[in-house]
Amino acid sequence: MEQLFNIDFKKISSSSEKEALKRKKNFELFLKTGLPNKKDESWKFSDLNFIINKNFNQITNNDDFKFDKKIEFVNDFDHNHIILINGVLKSCDIKFEEKGKVTIESLNSLESFSNQSSNNLHNLNQALSLGGFNLEIQKDYKCKKPVIIYNYFTSNLDNKIINNSNQIKLNQNSGLILIEYNISEKCKFLKNTFEKINLSEGSELKTFIIQKTNSNGFFYKNISGTQDYNSSYQNFLFSSGLKFNKIDIDLDLEKENASCYILAGLILGREEHQEINTRINHMAPNCKSYQKIKNVLESDSKGVYQGKIFVKDIAQKTDAYQLSKALILDDKAEFNAKPELEIYADDVKCSHGSTSGSIDEDAIHYLMTRGIELPMARKLLINGFINEIFENIPEEKLKTFLEKNIKEQVNGI
Amino acid sequence: MKKEEFKNQEYKYGFTTEIENFKAPKGLSEETIRFISKIKKEPQWMLEWRLKAFNRLKILKEPNWQKPKYPEIDYQNLYYYSAPKSMKNKPKSLDEVDPKLIETYKKLGIPLNEQKRLSGVAVDAVFDSVSVATTFKGELDKKGIIFCPISEAIQKHPELVKKYLGSVIPISDHYFATLNSAVFTDGSFVYIPPNTRCPMELSTYFRINASGTGQFERTLIIADKGSYVSYLEGCTAPMRDENQLHAANVELVALDDAEIKYSTVQNWYPGDKDGIGGIYNFVTKRGACRGKNSKISWTQVETGSAITWKYPSCILQGDNSVGEFYSIAITNNHQKADTGTKMIHLGKNTKSKIISKGISAGQADNTYRGLVDIGAKASNSRNYTQCDSLLMGNKCGAHTVPYIKNKNSSSTIEHEATTSKINEDQLFYCNQRGLNQEEAVSLIVNGFCKEVLQQLPMEFAVEAQKLVSISLEGSVG
Repeated sequence: MEQLFNIDFKKISSSSEKEALKRKKNFELFLKTGLPNKKDESWKFSDLNFIINKNFNQITNNDDFKFDKKIEFVNDFDHNHIILINGVLKSCDIKFEEKGKVTIESLNSLESFSNQSSNNLHNLNQALSLGGFNLEIQKDYKCKKPVIIYNYFTSNLDNKIINNSNQIKLNQNSGLILIEYNISEKCKFLKNTFEKINLSEGSELKTFIIQKTNSNGFFYKNISGTQDYNSSYQNFLFSSGLKFNKIDIDLDLEKENASCYILAGLILGREEHQEINTRINHMAPNCKSYQKIKNVLESDSKGVYQGKIFVKDIAQKTDAYQLSKALILDDKAEFNAKPELEIYADDVKCSHGSTSGSIDEDAIHYLMTRGIELPMARKLLINGFINEIFENIPEEKLKTFLEKNIKEQVNGI
Repeated sequence: MKKEEFKNQEYKYGFTTEIENFKAPKGLSEETIRFISKIKKEPQWMLEWRLKAFNRLKILKEPNWQKPKYPEIDYQNLYYYSAPKSMKNKPKSLDEVDPKLIETYKKLGIPLNEQKRLSGVAVDAVFDSVSVATTFKGELDKKGIIFCPISEAIQKHPELVKKYLGSVIPISDHYFATLNSAVFTDGSFVYIPPNTRCPMELSTYFRINASGTGQFERTLIIADKGSYVSYLEGCTAPMRDENQLHAANVELVALDDAEIKYSTVQNWYPGDKDGIGGIYNFVTKRGACRGKNSKISWTQVETGSAITWKYPSCILQGDNSVGEFYSIAITNNHQKADTGTKMIHLGKNTKSKIISKGISAGQADNTYRGLVDIGAKASNSRNYTQCDSLLMGNKCGAHTVPYIKNKNSSSTIEHEATTSKINEDQLFYCNQRGLNQEEAVSLIVNGFCKEVLQQLPMEFAVEAQKLVSISLEGSVG
């Protein structure tokens, strides 16, 4: 592991002596066990150690943030924006919102991330993270326009590792739509992101993760959140086109009537590997969770879904639902799923379903008898398969924008 | 009612037979294995096979990934062989068998006497480490069917045993399977010749009696081309406050066009209300559909044992082969069950179906853990899985851990699972019609399990239905 990671701690600025020491300690911890591998239950289907060793000889940390390319803003709808270069906050513009209601600043302390114990990548992140953004919405304020996070990367990232951490806090009865828009270069790098979400009573957060361009990068993102009374969290994942991507979502529904929705529509192509791993913890009564993960797998891609619903004994009247569906279009493609339930309360409604298979032959036949040729018929059905996810997006302009994005991907098949 | 009697009502097979035992020296060692092999009059190759497993065992570690945790087992403090003294020289007919043994089986409702038999069931009765009697041998012989204790098969049919033993569960498998390979004592051997339909149900009844022993049975069933057999297995043990280990290996081999139906009603002593005592049921069951169009169907009703840990599996090697798994697992009080199946699709057009019903009450934990793996070459394969859990009270747990792997674009996997409690409306409806709470629950649970109960042979289905009700007694209200 030490040979693989050639880390220069001088490139990392720490706010204090104490922090610098802590970083070194965390890095040592990381080196002890190394990258997670398939022996680790949550990495069973995505052996990161193997994948990274196969693709990298040496990994160094990045200290170059020179960025001179033009930023192409989305012009389909009005929005505020945050610009991140290599995971670090560069600038932001929240012109559509009232003053003092939305604060966005660089994250300069990793303090709030320290007590999280997930996997060894957390230690790595704690050691090398260069920060990210810290976003907070004031009490009773509902954002008028969505915020788009433009995630740009410089072109000199080959064999580099980027670690960043973000924090999102929504105070009582506030609301926000957040769109993570990733634009990557063709270089081969590793990104390790930890994100913390804190939703107070009655707040509503809706996030979208979209990939604009294909990337040779290897991405890991860990989202952990806590939800208070009546809060709602929705996450839509459309992060196709990545060589490797794993998204871990760990949510604690801590108080009554909290709800969360996770929906994904992924189209994976050649040499792509993507895993969605969720863990929803129902810690209080009357909470609701809903997950729907759809994968379209072509060529030699590999899709993985691991989801766990945990229901604590006091969490009566829980309503939890989990569905994963996969369309396997090629014999070399592979889909693995592990939808898991761990339930200790009796008055609950928990169900999960998982299907994987190819396109319905009967449906193809039907379309062809109506004069639609095979390639078109397939495209129509794939589009229909993914489209179901969009039905859950009420924002018209946003929906059109997302559909346009996905259509391009389907046409690529 | 005296306390003792009351206890017996809960688990009516909890009695002990006072019988003189003949045991192997305590502890797991090469001597013990040589002792078992010698007493069974085994040929040299069998002993070598056992020792090979024992050597392998030395480097294996006990698995610890399963949900139910148990206190460390002291393998040196166990007897690996225990037999009634009267069985030392094998009796030639039933008249020579110790009447106490016959009495025991009578009490358990197992007919060893052919005249008083249940219609059409041949029984092999295993008491601790030896087979006591096998009924209907003559009739089966006529058809060329071999149904005998495995220790006898090793002597009389070495070519078959050599060929198939360990071919489905290799001796280098996991810890408990390897332990069994090293020290297995008795069990049943079945061979059905080509194009033969076994005229009656074959059945083995396992009984643990001696204390401080572990039971390590081994069953091997081979269905040759175009044959059919239905096999039943039942088991009970006395009530003791110690935990006893039961680590069995069951291997099934189905050749071209053959079908094996394997049913289990597992009713080992589950421990008392506070979770003291009971059997650790760590069993490895695996079937290989070697031939084309072959079929293996597992049906299990799991009501007993302190900890159940078993995954009857099907390896679907032959094209068009079919694997089925029907399971009811009921856990009450402090019982823990971690059970499910593995369906490994290797051949083309293979199909599998999994129906699993888990019921937890009291402080029990019930886990379904399963694997469906469709390989890259298993084109046009299908799997359907349904696992439903029923919870009674909020001190128990129900868990589902399915692993689903699909490496093939022409294959389809469907998986469904639900967890719920007994519907209040249904209960109310039953109460309204004069059923008390317990009767109503029993009725609803039986309905919940119906899909699986239907799969059992007639004689067993009735018994299993009663067992389902008894297992849940005291869990309502």
